[in-house]
Amino acid sequence: MEVLRLQNLQKSFGSVRALKSASFTLDEGEVVALLGDNGAGKSTLIKAISGVFSIDRGEIYVRGQKVSIRSTRDAMDLGIETIHQDTSLAPDLSIARNLFLGREPVNLKWLGVFAPLDLAKLRDAASALLKRVGISKKLDADALVSTLSGGERQSIAISRAMQFAAKVIILDEPTNNLGVEETHGVLRFVKEVRAAGHSVLLITHNIHHVFQVADRIIVMRRGEIVAEQTVADTDLLTVESIITGADMSALLKETRAK
Amino acid sequence: MPVGKRRSSLIRSPQFSSLIMFIVLLAVFAIADANFLSPLNISNMMAFLPELGIIALGMTLLLTAGEFDLSVGAVFGLAPVVVMLLVQNGQVDIGVALLAGLLLCVAIGAINGLIVTKIGISSFLVTLSMLLVVRGAALYITQGFPLKSWDQPGFFVTLLAGSFNIGSFRFYTSLWWFVGLSLLAIYVLRYAKLGNWISAIGSNRNAAVARGVPADAVKIWLFILTSVLAGLAGMISAFRISAASPVAGTGYELEVIAMVVVGGTALTGGRGTILGTIVGALMLRSIRNGIVLIGVPGLAYNIFVGVIILAMLILHALLQKNAARS
Repeated sequence: MEVLRLQNLQKSFGSVRALKSASFTLDEGEVVALLGDNGAGKSTLIKAISGVFSIDRGEIYVRGQKVSIRSTRDAMDLGIETIHQDTSLAPDLSIARNLFLGREPVNLKWLGVFAPLDLAKLRDAASALLKRVGISKKLDADALVSTLSGGERQSIAISRAMQFAAKVIILDEPTNNLGVEETHGVLRFVKEVRAAGHSVLLITHNIHHVFQVADRIIVMRRGEIVAEQTVADTDLLTVESIITGADMSALLKETRAK
Repeated sequence: MPVGKRRSSLIRSPQFSSLIMFIVLLAVFAIADANFLSPLNISNMMAFLPELGIIALGMTLLLTAGEFDLSVGAVFGLAPVVVMLLVQNGQVDIGVALLAGLLLCVAIGAINGLIVTKIGISSFLVTLSMLLVVRGAALYITQGFPLKSWDQPGFFVTLLAGSFNIGSFRFYTSLWWFVGLSLLAIYVLRYAKLGNWISAIGSNRNAAVARGVPADAVKIWLFILTSVLAGLAGMISAFRISAASPVAGTGYELEVIAMVVVGGTALTGGRGTILGTIVGALMLRSIRNGIVLIGVPGLAYNIFVGVIILAMLILHALLQKNAARS
């Protein structure tokens, strides 16, 4: 079932057409990898979906409903959670406080921003979540994020997205700056996320990772989507040549024919 | 967290090391001069303490959110001057004049906050310029002369600068202001939703924004709060000494920031502690007072204050390193 559909998304910055035209769909429980060189428009595309800025033209549908996304809050409310490279967590806050940042459980709600945090609920929910997502290393919900490793931080950020029952989780370079073992941990986690029924849009430079977890590959070049293939129908070398633009026309024809 | 672990993290916390340092300082001063802990001297220290302490509370929240304000000392001077000019030359009721003074502080804080967040200039530069503008305004509108402050007894004088005796100690109502505002600040920073936002903004602004936290609005309100507290402190001071001087509060901005960081709040944002700030305020107050009492020459005492502040900061940095290693 279709969860997210983009139709003819366009975005310019001054005279630079960062996004010329982008259309694709994302199905339930699917991991789609978004590939492309630097400046291909990947960032612009995911920023448009996650509400960092609004698009100039085009339509976004969530579960068949046409939506307008004007802020990160809009995107979150629609069930689109984005996890940015290393900007997702506040290192000086505890795991529990990070997990609920912006959606804190409170008592006396009428006090608005001055409402007291429901600390017991915060800690219990955080512990339960850490257990459920199988972060086995017995992380303490009260531990500061600054004491965690890079992989643990990514896992926390992803589980936060899962916790709010996100329909679409966008992972922006989730394995950047991670060690080999931690990278495997995060990739395993992506599979678990899919198994739990969430859809994932994975942005990465590492094609090897794509072949380990993705169902489908979308390649962007110069603000356009130039290829879209299922992982089963392609191989590493082909994808690499599409990204760099070598022999692109032939591949494009092949893609269109499908 | 197990009890043992919690206890060791408490001992390592910056508030705790500040507290130990404070107690050591008190002991040194008390031994060096018996008058240090006399009721008269304690009363004296407690008269000054709230005025800088109140500003330090706002500054702590602002620093925790990753910004700071150098214009507080100038606001401390300008606010009471404006109030007194309105009363004496404008024949305005004292209550209305006080309100107008506070509204002026709101405006100054809002301008600071808007320029920092919306135009994106660092708070150091924005508030440094504001310091000059505000101090200059205070000097210009008074032509450099101090004004006689409101000294007729009445509701507002009692509210801001009334005094009362407990045994042989004499305290000002400003102490209640400081205590009340401290409790509020502790609540907001540690237990309220807003406190979570403030720490998150200072720790990683982009992460907070990505979670829908209105970072700019929070910062603007904190600039306003800091400015208002500085103005309030200035009014308390002017009422207490019955004079409003256009140069009052000169250098307070650095003294207040010193109180905050000595207490353990990180200058880089994300980690703030109101309890630490209270200890920091007490410490700087007693250093200034104790140094005079034990006979350090007046002109030399900034040397001592500077050295003690540096020692505190080095201690915090070492503890931090230690904690990171374990």
